[in-house]
Amino acid sequence: MQGPAVSWYLAIAGFLFTTGALGVLLRRSPLIVLLSLELMLNAANLTLIAFARQHGSLDGQVFALAVMAVAASEVVVGLGLIVAMSRRRMALDTDRLTSLRG
Amino acid sequence: MITASWICLLLPLAGAIAITLLGTAIPRRTAGFIATASVAGAFVAAVYSFVVMLSRDGADRAQASTAWSWLTAGSLDFGLTIYVDQLAVYMMLIVAGVGALIVGYSIGYMDKVDEERRFFAYMSFFVFSMLLLVEGGNLLMLLAAWGLVGLSSYLLIGFEHERPAAIAAAKKAFIVNALGDATFALALFLLVQKTGTLDYQAVFADAPSLSSTTATLVALGLLGGAVAKSAQLPLHTWLPDAMEGPTPVSALIHAATMVVAGVYLVFRCAPIFEAAPDVQDTAAVLGGVTLVVAGLIALVQTDIKRVIAYSTMSQIGYMFLAVGIGAYATSMFHLLTHAFFKALLFLAAGILIHALAGEQDMRNMGGLRRLMPFTYLAFLVGSLALVGVPPFSGFFSKDPILANALAAGDLGYVLFALAAIGAFLTGLYTFRMVFMTFGGEPSEEVRSRYHPHGGKEGPPSMTLVVGTLAVLAAIAGFLQFVPYWTPVDDFLDPVAEPLVDPTGTMEALASLTAVGLGLAGLLVAWGIYGAKKRSAPRSWRVLQHKLYFDELYDAVFYRPAVATSKALYAVVEGPVIGGSLAGVSGGTTRLANHVRSLQTGAVRTYALALAAGVAVLALVFIGVR
Repeated sequence: MQGPAVSWYLAIAGFLFTTGALGVLLRRSPLIVLLSLELMLNAANLTLIAFARQHGSLDGQVFALAVMAVAASEVVVGLGLIVAMSRRRMALDTDRLTSLRG
Repeated sequence: MITASWICLLLPLAGAIAITLLGTAIPRRTAGFIATASVAGAFVAAVYSFVVMLSRDGADRAQASTAWSWLTAGSLDFGLTIYVDQLAVYMMLIVAGVGALIVGYSIGYMDKVDEERRFFAYMSFFVFSMLLLVEGGNLLMLLAAWGLVGLSSYLLIGFEHERPAAIAAAKKAFIVNALGDATFALALFLLVQKTGTLDYQAVFADAPSLSSTTATLVALGLLGGAVAKSAQLPLHTWLPDAMEGPTPVSALIHAATMVVAGVYLVFRCAPIFEAAPDVQDTAAVLGGVTLVVAGLIALVQTDIKRVIAYSTMSQIGYMFLAVGIGAYATSMFHLLTHAFFKALLFLAAGILIHALAGEQDMRNMGGLRRLMPFTYLAFLVGSLALVGVPPFSGFFSKDPILANALAAGDLGYVLFALAAIGAFLTGLYTFRMVFMTFGGEPSEEVRSRYHPHGGKEGPPSMTLVVGTLAVLAAIAGFLQFVPYWTPVDDFLDPVAEPLVDPTGTMEALASLTAVGLGLAGLLVAWGIYGAKKRSAPRSWRVLQHKLYFDELYDAVFYRPAVATSKALYAVVEGPVIGGSLAGVSGGTTRLANHVRSLQTGAVRTYALALAAGVAVLALVFIGVR
């Protein structure tokens, strides 16, 4: 196997995941929260691919593809919600969006 | 013969089902005709069975027939069996014959009454239950029929369900009868455990070999059922209240069917009772005491139907006395004549109640002899038969009971004395009733109330039946004149041999005593109520309260039960059951309120909780490893 050892990939993935998690926990704009979620998903994808290469099996890559599909649909729904909210001139602040019906 | 007996049993049931299913598709009157036809058909079938039976030899006369296996449990197997012997046929003739007359009478009596169809369906069902009771081929079927009879009497007594008194009377009858059913069932449980069967023949064959304790307990249980059904002391309180039902119901219950079931039971189970002589003596003593007590209470009643009801209790006391000393056939003969004259008295009373727009209080009657000569004549025949004045039927059937009592040893003398007192009381209360109702001149009030419906004194269906019964009550006694000719005794003796055999002297002595005392009672009644309308002698308070039996039961059973229930409600139901339920529901509500505050709706809180959870899990995994 060529390239850096798997631990490097894991380190980067861990950094990305932490960044994403902190973004979800600390930021209040739904758009940024969504973005951070994507970051976390991609961190997970990175570990999947890294281990798949280390073991020389395709399982991890297949999982990563599935995660990407889920992430794409999630973005569609999430962005749609955000657009709908901004059209209704609602505050784009997760701390104020606490009830399902206005 | 057995086919005819099946038809006899099932026709009234078919009638009841047909009336119920056809419902409003048939006119009201047709329901009455269907019921009458089905019961009359049953009578014809019973007569046919009887004739075929007569043509056979003694040994072949009893026959059993099983339709199918009804109930199987382990080695026990109860068939849907009928067992037809001399006793069963004898009872079938009485039940279906008198039943048909009474149902026919009801067509006139119940005319234009609401829910006429329901009435006739119940009447047919009642006759079916009673026929099942006498034809049932094992003790289990007897018990089932016992319950059905109780049920149908409940339905009929409470027929006028808009009157609270009728409902109360129906419930009372049902509960008292259920008490009897319970002791009956207990006796059967014990019997099954000891003998492993409930078939008549098998049980009776085993009866002499039962231990005396078992035999006594079984016999006591059966006696409890018989006493409740036949309204003997101390379970008699339901019978007078049952007068709340329509008059034909009173006639059906008191004359032909339900109340004589106890006498039938003791006769049918004679081998068991003979294995427990103490219990048999108890039955005789209960009968003797009942006949006197009922006669005393009848002296002060003012409701004409209640007087007849107490006279029924009294007459059944005679029958119990007779079966208790082992004079089985003698008791059955009294049952037959009693069915005729008691049905006659009830139905004649029904005609005059009908004509007086429902008036039953004898103090508001009087002088009806002038207005209703036919009813008067019929009632007089019934009364003379009841008192036992020769040559009316009561004379031929009641006097042998006294003679048998004389022949029954030391206890017999006591019973004879009781029966003799009863004879005097019978004369007194019967003719008190006759003079109060029919004697003297009709007052203005009676004249203004008197409105016969249809016909001269009542509809033809009523007067015709009363006329028939009057003839029967007058002449049925000649069926048997001990000791000269005894066809009834000869017919029934093979079922259970009598235990007593009175001599001719005893017969003569008993007849003289009974007739003399009966006539004495009649004369006393005439002296007080007949000669001129005099106010009744100051009645005894004790008697007016029916010897305080109702009050006693109220104090012993009803009040403690209510008090216990109230105490249980206050101590157990309120704090324990109600409290625990309130605690559970209140606790759930409080817990839910706490949990609700976790549900903030803020996404970041959830995310934090999620992350914290994952962190804890990760720590656990690492720590465990």
